[in-house]
Amino acid sequence: MAKQSTSLRAYLLTRIALAIPMLLILLTLVFFLMRVAPGDPISAALGGRLTQEELDRRRAEAGYDRPLAVQYVDYLGDVATLNFGETIVDNRPVTEVIVQNGAATLELTLTAMLIAVGVGVSIGLVAGRHRDTSVDFAGRMFGIVIYAAPVFFLGFLAQLVFGKWLGWFPTSGRASPIVTFELETKTNLFIVDSIISGNWSALADVLRHLVLPATVLGLVIGGVFIRLVRVNLIQTLKGDYIEAARARGIEERSVVYHHAFKNALVPVITVIGLQFALLLSGAVLTEQTFNWPGIGSELVRYLDNRDYIAVQGIITFTGIVVIFVSVFIDFVNAWVDPRVRY
Amino acid sequence: MSTRPFASRMLVLVAVLALVAAACDSGGETPTDEGSPGTSTGGTIIHGTTDTIVSLDPAGQYDFGSNQISQQVYNTLLEVPEGETTPQPALADCVTDDSMVYTCTLQDGLTFSDGSELTSEDVAFSFQRNIEIDDPAGACSLLASLAACGKWKDGVIETPDPQTVVFNLSAPDAVWPFILTTSAAFIVPSDVFPADELQADGEIVGSGRYTLAQYRAGEQVVLEANESFWGDPPLNDRVIVQYFDQSSALKLAIEQGDVDIAWRTLTPTDVSSLQGQEGLSVLTGPGGEIRYLVFNTSLEPGNELAVRKAAAMVLDRQAIVDNVYEGTVDPLWSMVPAGFAGHIDVFKDVYGETPDVQGAEQVLKDAGVSTPVPIEIWWTPTHYGDASADEYAEIQRSFEESGLFTVTLKSTEWDRYTEAAFTDQYPSYQLGWFPDYVDGDNYVASFYSSSSFLNDHFDSKEVDDLIATERASTDQAEREAAFERIQEIGAAEVPIIPVWQGTQLAIVRDGVEGVQATLDPTYIFRYWGITKAS
Repeated sequence: MAKQSTSLRAYLLTRIALAIPMLLILLTLVFFLMRVAPGDPISAALGGRLTQEELDRRRAEAGYDRPLAVQYVDYLGDVATLNFGETIVDNRPVTEVIVQNGAATLELTLTAMLIAVGVGVSIGLVAGRHRDTSVDFAGRMFGIVIYAAPVFFLGFLAQLVFGKWLGWFPTSGRASPIVTFELETKTNLFIVDSIISGNWSALADVLRHLVLPATVLGLVIGGVFIRLVRVNLIQTLKGDYIEAARARGIEERSVVYHHAFKNALVPVITVIGLQFALLLSGAVLTEQTFNWPGIGSELVRYLDNRDYIAVQGIITFTGIVVIFVSVFIDFVNAWVDPRVRY
Repeated sequence: MSTRPFASRMLVLVAVLALVAAACDSGGETPTDEGSPGTSTGGTIIHGTTDTIVSLDPAGQYDFGSNQISQQVYNTLLEVPEGETTPQPALADCVTDDSMVYTCTLQDGLTFSDGSELTSEDVAFSFQRNIEIDDPAGACSLLASLAACGKWKDGVIETPDPQTVVFNLSAPDAVWPFILTTSAAFIVPSDVFPADELQADGEIVGSGRYTLAQYRAGEQVVLEANESFWGDPPLNDRVIVQYFDQSSALKLAIEQGDVDIAWRTLTPTDVSSLQGQEGLSVLTGPGGEIRYLVFNTSLEPGNELAVRKAAAMVLDRQAIVDNVYEGTVDPLWSMVPAGFAGHIDVFKDVYGETPDVQGAEQVLKDAGVSTPVPIEIWWTPTHYGDASADEYAEIQRSFEESGLFTVTLKSTEWDRYTEAAFTDQYPSYQLGWFPDYVDGDNYVASFYSSSSFLNDHFDSKEVDDLIATERASTDQAEREAAFERIQEIGAAEVPIIPVWQGTQLAIVRDGVEGVQATLDPTYIFRYWGITKAS
């Protein structure tokens, strides 16, 4: 037992150690790619209004003419001290962007992941249980179509049907304008804030705004889980211990849901980690489509304006989150399944 | 042990889904201010926009979105009231004898929204910090008649007493009253704003009709009526400005009633689809936004006057207006747009209202230019909206259909574009302009002076002299005569071809009043005159 714990600890430490160079490569790529691309925040904001001399003077004043190496060293130093600086285009502390807009993205992605797992696992389970039946066929088709559909297309479709035609759900924003103004924000997670403040009408409003974007994003990711759970369940149902359970006269329903299903879920944990990164990239498009004020839509805006500081800060933060989640998932995987060791 | 954790997780999942379902059950109506449960509704206007905010500090802004909010929170010494085109007294009344020394007398009893007194020291402080901070995104360049950015000079502003401000300009400048209405001239309290850096956006204080109640960057601005405002109070209690990334989302929001007003910017297709919809009105007003095509007169083929003239003759503006913008813009016949004092339809008079292929052919033939003339035109897809691609395809079509030009269209994103266009790398290129102030000077001096930011190498001593004359003169007739002459020279030399002039468009829901009146060439969206039926 002690040997197993040591092995798990060593595995975890190895994963954490590997994450550091991964992060450094990410930071370096972001830094240099932003600067080799043409343009700068001054041109983006004032090009077309000032003379070239005036633009050059303002660029120099803002420090964009300093040697890249100097800027790079400064940048790494700032990241090491968790100082992400202030955005150039609107003078916001990057940490404020991360906290305020990151919370919006977190709320969206976590809900989307819940929906993805809920939909994916339940449909995959039913499809695997009823292999090669019309139910299985329908489940597989649903998974393929949903996974193949671009998230913005599904988003527009959902807005059109459930927003415009049926009028069931709002199509933009995290909450109604007045709720956004009046809700006392402590965590910037509107669901949590409305619960903390006991504002149940605000909670209902926030949830209604969350339904379409979270469902669209969740369904896209859920397509992967449908196929994965189905295949794993079918494989698991072929196992000797399943045959043994059946031979002991245990009900088929119990065999499937109590014995096979749990084992079939193990690979899903790994995929959840991988899908989380995909979820963040999908969130960019979802946020744009539903005017969700998350970190993804802010990233696009800052990219458009060549705001080096903001883009660096947001990508660094996002990279850290993805790395953290993948290390965490690896840990959970190794903990759940003792066969996972290096 | 083996099943309980999983069952617990499933229970949590079911509970969350049930919560969502319960929320969905709250009804089919869309969440307007009336419909939001448990919220106050009286006197709140909700405005949706795709504009963005760079800074809410006057020293750090030279953009439309920031100015729009600042107009509500701050005041200037002079302002252009609704329906007017010339500066009128606001915080102060200003007089001058020689257009070089302006003496402004502040009204009695002015205060900022925090209750502190507004004095001449605050005025001097506001101008000085704007010039000294010299923010890269700021508009201190508009104050050049006072001092160059970053080069404040003692004595350029005098404050002999708490109510008097004297501006000592470096040269006669009749445009100075207009400058005093711009974002560079907002007055801020000297005991709140730092002298050497920008004030945090959420902590601004002004003397305007509204105070900033909340600022969520990129998401929402909430303005509440300033109870200590020195003039007539706003007709509403509160304005919420909702920001949208996509015009499609803004369109849905106005359709669903999430916002009361959609102003700036919907696509022409969106506007067309909203026209005639029940519960919505599409309002239009004059606008000073323009688009134009610049020739670098030092590069081929634009270095040949006949080529520039022929291009002006074959350009089909009406096709652009109809096919690309679905009638939401107007043809532009001069670099001074219609509605501005001194405007003349000079390009229509000189080159005709419809394409004149025969005339263009003759001009080229007389100049010995062989046809078709190869011409490279640059445009940018990342600054002037999605319609730019169609606009330049239409320009290409009208040029090539004449048989006199073969057009190569090229495009690149905005940052690279501005750098290349102004450093002699593009022979001809697309640009656009919003007015800084409602005066013809903002157009003629910006485009036709030999020191124009365009760097198109158009250099006319007569134009420079005329600009100096109109800037030094307080005689409006003399100034308008100068504008007209400059436009005539511009049409004769054609360094720039005007293409279209924007019409302001606002979509409002039924019951919202007062929007039509504010759609004037100043581009100031005056929230204070807007009401909504409860």
